This record gives sequence, C-alpha cells and structure tokens, in this order.
Amino acid sequence: MLQDRYLKKLKELPEPVRQFGGLVTITVIIILSFAILNIFWGGGDELVRKMKLEEERIAQEKKLSKLISSLPSGILVTFEGTDDHRLSEEQYEAVCNATKIVSQRSVMGANLTNFKAKHIYTINGNDIKETFVKWDKEKNKCFAGFVLTGSNVGVNETITVSGEALSFFNTGIDTRVYFIRNF
Amino acid sequence: MELLKKYPKLFQWLFLLVIFFALCFAIDVPETYKFIRGQAEFVKDPNQSTYTLFGAEVRYYAFDTLWRLPPLLGWLPIWVNDSLFFLLNEWMPMEFWNEDLQEYRTRPLVLQITRNITASMTFLIELIREILLGGSKTVVAFTSWDWIDKNPWAELPGLPWTIVAAGAVILCYKLSGKGLAIFAGLVMIYISVFGQWKPSMQTLSFILVAAPLSFIFGLSLGIMAYKSKRIEKALYPLLLVMQTMPQYAVLVPAMVLFGIGDHAAVIITMVVAIPPMILLTLLGLRAVPSEVIEAGKMSGCNNWQLMTKVLIPTARRDILIGVNQVIMVCFSMAVIAAFIGAKGLGWNLLLALNQLNIGLALEAGLCISMIAILLDKMSLAWANKQEDYFGNLTFFQRYKNTLFFAGAVLIGVIFAYVGTFVFKGSFNYFSEIPHNKGLSFADFWNKGVDWIWDTFFQTLKIFNTWLITEVLQPMRALYLRMPAVATLVLVIGAGYIIGGIRSAFTVGGLALFIALSPWWDRALVTAYMATFGVIASCTIGLTVGTLCQQNKYTTKFMLAVCDIFQTFPSFVYLIPVMMLFGITDTSVLIAVIVYATIPATRYTIEGLRSVPPALHDAATMSGVTKFQRLINIEFPIAFPHMMLGVNQTIVFALFMVIIGAFIGTEDLGQYILKALSDKKGGGKGLILGICVAFIALIFDNLIRTWVEKRKKHLGID
Repeated sequence: MLQDRYLKKLKELPEPVRQFGGLVTITVIIILSFAILNIFWGGGDELVRKMKLEEERIAQEKKLSKLISSLPSGILVTFEGTDDHRLSEEQYEAVCNATKIVSQRSVMGANLTNFKAKHIYTINGNDIKETFVKWDKEKNKCFAGFVLTGSNVGVNETITVSGEALSFFNTGIDTRVYFIRNF
Repeated sequence: MELLKKYPKLFQWLFLLVIFFALCFAIDVPETYKFIRGQAEFVKDPNQSTYTLFGAEVRYYAFDTLWRLPPLLGWLPIWVNDSLFFLLNEWMPMEFWNEDLQEYRTRPLVLQITRNITASMTFLIELIREILLGGSKTVVAFTSWDWIDKNPWAELPGLPWTIVAAGAVILCYKLSGKGLAIFAGLVMIYISVFGQWKPSMQTLSFILVAAPLSFIFGLSLGIMAYKSKRIEKALYPLLLVMQTMPQYAVLVPAMVLFGIGDHAAVIITMVVAIPPMILLTLLGLRAVPSEVIEAGKMSGCNNWQLMTKVLIPTARRDILIGVNQVIMVCFSMAVIAAFIGAKGLGWNLLLALNQLNIGLALEAGLCISMIAILLDKMSLAWANKQEDYFGNLTFFQRYKNTLFFAGAVLIGVIFAYVGTFVFKGSFNYFSEIPHNKGLSFADFWNKGVDWIWDTFFQTLKIFNTWLITEVLQPMRALYLRMPAVATLVLVIGAGYIIGGIRSAFTVGGLALFIALSPWWDRALVTAYMATFGVIASCTIGLTVGTLCQQNKYTTKFMLAVCDIFQTFPSFVYLIPVMMLFGITDTSVLIAVIVYATIPATRYTIEGLRSVPPALHDAATMSGVTKFQRLINIEFPIAFPHMMLGVNQTIVFALFMVIIGAFIGTEDLGQYILKALSDKKGGGKGLILGICVAFIALIFDNLIRTWVEKRKKHLGID
C-alpha cells in the first residue's frame, strides 16, 4: 500500500525532475558497482608495496651492475700476492652482494677437502640443490656455499658446505664465486 | 525547481560534468601507474596478479578498479585464438580424397573447407591474371606441367596494353560519353608509360574476383534480409560492427584461417565489401513504392518474378551504387591486403613506404588513385545510365561498341606483332612496358622531398615540436588521467541524457567491453588522437563547407573535390604527410585531418543545401542579413544533417588513426599491426578491431539518437 503510494507520487513528478532523478540514480549505481568490484579485484595498496620493493631491487641491481662494469674482467681476489685484481674493502662487499652464482669450479674445489660432499656430489650426477652467497656483517667477510642432497649408499643425505669466498670471476656481465675456502 | 523545469538538459549536463570532474580530481593516479603498466600485457612480471578463466591465464596489474578496471575479458582473445586453432586442427576430422597422392587422407573439416576456398580463389585470380598478363598455371590446372612443356603454344599470352586501354575507352564512352572516355585513355596511358602495367593488372585481377563475388553475396544477403525480419535482425549488429571496424583488424583472423597471399586478400576484401552491398540492397528494396509491388502482384507475378522483374529493376540505382561502394572498398583494401601478401600496386606502395622512397610510393599511389577514380566514375555512370532499348536500330547501331572493340583487338594484336620486329632483341613495348622500363619521376619527387626538408626543416621542426609538446602530449596526458569510473559515468550519463535508458545501456555496454579488455589505455590514446583529428577536421570542414555553399559554382567544385578525395585509398594519404613531417605523430594527425575533413565538408554543404528555399525567402522578406540568416536559420536547421557528417568524420578519423600505426603510434592500431606478425595474433587482432569499432559505435549511437530527436523537434523528419 505504502509502496503504491510512493510509486504514484514518483509518477506524478514532472518529467524533467524524473529524468534528473534517473541520471542521479544511474550515476550512483555506476559508482557503487565500481566500489563493489574494488572489494574483489582492487589491489591498489598491495600493488604499490610490491612495485616499490621491485623498484628498490631494480635500483640496487643497477647500482651493483654499474660497479661490476667498472671492475676489470677476469679474476678478482681479496688477498695479496697474485697478479689478479685485488678488491678494496668496499668493492669486496659490493661484489659479494652482487654475486648470485657459485661456479662449478668453486664447488669442486670445496669438495676436495670434504670427502662426504665429494661422494654425494659425484654419485648423484653433480647435482647441486642450492647455492648461496652472503655478506657477514659481523665478520666483514663474504661467505658462499652450497647444499647437496642425494642418496648415499641407499640413504638420503643432505650436506651444506660453506666457507669464505676468497675470489670471484668477473665475466663483464655478472660475477661468480671463484674460490671458497672451507678449511 | 522552476529553472530545472525550464532548462532540464542544461542541468543534467552540468550535473554530469560536475560528477565527472569531481571523480577525476578525487581519484588520484596510483603511485605505480605508468602508461605501459596499464595494460594486461602478455608478458610476465612478478607484480602482476593473475586469474584463470575458460582455461586462459590472464595477468594484469591490480590497480584500484575506480582507476582502471581489471581486464576481466582478457581471456577472450586467448579463447578466440584457441578456438580457431581447435577448429582448424582438431574439430571433426574426416576422410578426404587427395588428388595429388591419389588416396584418402584425414583432415579436420574446417581446414579442408578453408583449403578448398583458398584453391578456388587462387584459381580464379590466376585465370584473370593470365588473361591480362599471360601465363600457364590455368592451363596446367586442367592438364599437367608435362603437357604444357610439350605444347608451349598452349601458354596463355597476355592481352597487349593497347587492347585493354581501347576496351576501357570504348566502355567509358558507352557509359558516359567523351569526357570519361578521354580520362580512361589518359589513365591507361599513364599506367603503361610509367611501367605500372603489371602491378596494376595484378591489383585489377584480385579486384575482378573480389568485387563480383562481394556483389553476389551482398545482393543475396540483402534480399534475404529484406524478405525475413529475423535475418535482418541477426545481420544488423554484424553490419554495424563491420562498418566501423578497421580493415586492418580483419586481416589477422583471416590470415589464421586462410594463410597469406592473393586468395586471402580476396576473402578479406569480400568480408569488408559485402556489408555496404547488403545495406544498399536493403535500402533500395525498401524504397520500392508499395504501388509498384502491388502492381507486380496484380499482374500475377510469383515471388521469384516479383523479385527479379519488379523489385530489383526498380531498386537498380541503389544496387548499382552498392556496386560502386564495393569497388571503392576493394581499392582501399588493395593496399591493406598487401600486408598479407597481395601482389600489385598496394604491395609496391607498401614496399616503397617501408624504404621511405616517397617518389616511388607517390607513383604507385597516384596509379591506385587514378584507377579508383576511373572505376568510381564508371560504376556511377552505369548506375545513372538508363537502359538501352534497341527497337528500330540497325545492326551497326546496335552493336557498334562491340564492333569497335573487335576492331581494337585486331589492331592491338597487329601492333603487338609489329612490335616484335620493331623492338627486336628488346622488350615489346607495344605489348607490355615492364615495371622497370617505364618512365619514372621517383628521383624528381625524392629530390623534391629532400629540398623541402633542407629548406623548411627548421620551420617544420618548430611546428612539429610545438604541436607535440604543447598540444598533443598534454591532451594525451589528460585522456590517460581519466579514471575508468569517471569515463564510464560520462559515457553512460551522456547516453541517458541524449537517448534515455536504452541508449545509456547500449553505450554503457560498448564502453564496458573496452574497459574490461586488456587495452583500455590504448583505447584512450586512440580516442585522444581521433578527438584531435575530429575537432580540427570539423572546424575546417564547417568553415570551408559554409564558405563554399555561398556560391553554386564553389559548391559544385568542392563537392567534386570531396568526390575525388573520397576515392583515394586511405593509405595514399600517408605519402604526402610523410614527405613533409617524417615519421611522427604529427604526420598521422595531419593525415587524419585531411582524410576526415572530407565528410565534414560534404555534410556541411549538403546540410546547408537541404534548408528549404522558402525559409530563405521568408528570412529575406523579414529583413535579416545574410549572416543573421546563416546563424539563426540555416545552421539550426542544417545542424542535424551536419552532425551526421561529424559521425562520419569520427569513423574516418578512427580508420586513419589505426592506419597511422604503420608510421608508429602507440594506440590500438599499433597492437593490431603487432598481432599481424604474431603467430597467435588472430584473437588479439579481432578483439582489438572490435574495441575500435565499439569506440566508433558509441559516438554513432549518441549522434544518431540526438539527430533523430532533433529532426523530430524541428519537424524535418
């Protein structure tokens, strides 16, 4: 009854007013629909956070790659007594942070002093599960290592080998750990 | 309240604009928004969100939906693509007889159908091409390569250019008289002397296949639509979309189905040329007076007789105008089809443009334009020609044109034979002037371009830089700054104010489709370029049209200019602008303005002409000046008609913006061009084309609805 009365009142309104009301209603409906969609699909804040992180990472990477390109190609060492380029303290930290790859050569070198690691590495087809390069702030040194997993005489074993990264190899595009001292 | 009742529309528009700008200011540009990131590109980025629908994974940047809607239709191009692949390679495998292998082979049905269509098209094109240029493939189709090796006399010789030229002259004389015959002769001589004979005949060969087939299909579908409301209703949305869809976009899916080459070009040309033929057939049949139909029925005609003896002959003129449109579309497609390997003038033009050899491009472009103008005039003359009746005529009077042509063939053959002696050891110029042996002014034009660059470089550069930095970039930024919700409110609100709730739903649906596609930002860039072009074109068109309409000679002259410009294939417009402005957005926009000014000028003139002379007299008698009459009487009455011109201007501008992608814009056209070279671009190309068509249809709907209402209001419906 009440509904009918309101509908009747609405119909009795002048045409321009009704049209204006229609426009207002449509506008409200559109804005509300967008707001509802935003609940399900909008990811504004999350996207901003992710993209800021990504932008920081890209900026850091650019800085490091600039540094790498300023270093000579070839072997970079942290100690005296060779013909290779010796890294300064600052460069050492930067190269450590920029390095992502632990070379096969350094893995095999480290295995020479770790019989078990060498055994697992060999019988599992030179499979390396994981590698890492980290800068130790306390010791002010770069540590690199790798994780080997595989069956050792029927038993599944995991071994982590790590040590100080004493030298790196600069390819001109990236740097790789060249020698790990794990003794 | 009283004011609201007095000026209801004004208040509605004000309210809409206030809401639009309030939304624009209230919704900030997201910190992470960059133009390129606005797209749900098909490249991987760890920051993208994903969703999977109908087996398609869509990646996108999850902005606030008020700013940009998520591409909820992003699966559509992938799905279209997968469906095309499924249809072509997996659906309904059947056994088909393989003529070459002489055994049954299993092939999917659609693949077999497309291959059969391809083979028939190729055969038809080869047949006509060999009649015009000579060859052996058609004979081989009925015999074998071994047979033709043993019987070299069976190889078809090409028709000497003199015979084709004489044929064209005689036909033009029959259709329209001396003027057109002389023009035809000049065009043929130009084509031949400038070494464009072979590419011209190659273009003509695929048009001679595409045009008649389009005519047959268009006429049949038009008749079916006239007979059945259901068919008409089913065809209507397709026709609307096809009329506003850029021709580029059709290339991509057709390429997936039919491959590349002349045959694919014919099929695509047909797809584009059939809709105007259907519409004009329908228009013609609808215009047949009911008295004529009743007279036919009373004479005892059955349905077939009524159609063939009464309806079609009465609607002859409209149907023949349809033929004219078909031919024009075929020519405009000649260049676009070159993108998928159609040989001929279009291919040469495209190559020349790619090499930035403006001189060569100009020669090929001029050639296409001249043939287009000739065929346009010929088909219009045919449409306007009254049927010949041969009572009381002598044999010679009845068949004089045929006899003249037979004579021309004889003389042409003799000439070609004499040529073998005259040009012994060289090319027989009486038979065909080879492409690289004709005259060429390409160097002259290229030097002209260099001179223009040397002389006006600074001026052009200053203009170019000013236009880009001061006008175009801010305008582009403004368009991209519009949040999706504000744009949708504006479009739907405009629809509601102009045409009520129905119109609001229609334009809203079209805009929502684009907003939910992965290319909203690109669509905004397309809209900005088209808007700039439309504003400039309308300003020029309105001014020129109004000025020319003041005098009957200038009116006639301007309409003739519009006619000629309208027959130029759209690609040709790029040549002079590239000459002057190089490869920049300015070039595209100037081409857009030139191309889109034609309908703006034409409709302004026609609109002003449609004002009844009685009103002129009444105004003059009331003592108004010419200027007052123009502003207070002629413009308000002609305005609805002029708005139809604006509608056409928008469609023309959008077409040219899309073609401008060839120069290097960053709008939807660029993506269509990219889809052309993408193996999986079929779906993308089609959806992109639909997006462009929908932009045009939004404006079309708004303008047409307004025009109808306005005409009713003015009582000129």
